[in-house]
Amino acid sequence: MILNAAVWGFGGLAVLATVLMIFQRDSVKAALLMLAALLCTACVYLALSAQLLAVLQVILYAGAIMTLFVVALTVTPAAWRDRPLPASLKGVLGLAAAFVLLAELLKLAAPLRSAAVTLGFSETGTLELARRLFGPFVFQFELLSLVILASIVAAVSLTARRRA
Amino acid sequence: MTQFHLAALGFSLFAAAAAGFLTCGSLVRMLMFLELMLNAANVVLVALKPDAASQAYAVMLFAIAAAEAGVGLALILSLAAAFRTLDPANIKELKG
Repeated sequence: MILNAAVWGFGGLAVLATVLMIFQRDSVKAALLMLAALLCTACVYLALSAQLLAVLQVILYAGAIMTLFVVALTVTPAAWRDRPLPASLKGVLGLAAAFVLLAELLKLAAPLRSAAVTLGFSETGTLELARRLFGPFVFQFELLSLVILASIVAAVSLTARRRA
Repeated sequence: MTQFHLAALGFSLFAAAAAGFLTCGSLVRMLMFLELMLNAANVVLVALKPDAASQAYAVMLFAIAAAEAGVGLALILSLAAAFRTLDPANIKELKG
């Protein structure tokens, strides 16, 4: 019961923070709303008994990635940042497209209506996760290290060219 | 609660982020919404199949999100330095 309430409550808060981000004109406040959405998602993971993911969500998303965004907002001059949201045709079309997307996704998920879920607290240990990552998924996991290496090289070369 | 409710929660998060991505007027903010879309996909992945395999995939998606944010922000900073703007409407040429 309490886990159901937690999923609904924190999930709803995450959606609310994301919607408020759209209408927030100040970029730094938008970044803080994003942080709120990410922390609420971490709580949803905790309610879904994904404890390691909740911790990683806080460390990686709410920590590392948010730091990157705050640095990006700090180093760009204020004059380059976004203007007030214009109530243009593009904005209306964007919102309409998102509503259509949501409606289609919900329509696709309709067969799941009969699949009942009882949320209960259980522990998904890091050992079990590590067994998967270094067992059946070892190739994908090692491939990821190449992706991260490539992204580091790309980021350094892009910013080095900018500095030169 | 059914799996549909959990999926609806993730899909709402995804659609809200997609709406922001389509309507905002700043490259940094677009990347922020893109990260939230990836985050919503992660939530659906974990919520619909709560076992170790889906959590392992979610861990891999975290790494992909971090790599994407790093490269994306480096690209955005390069573009912003070249064009003196973060508004995608003002960036019309991508000649190296």
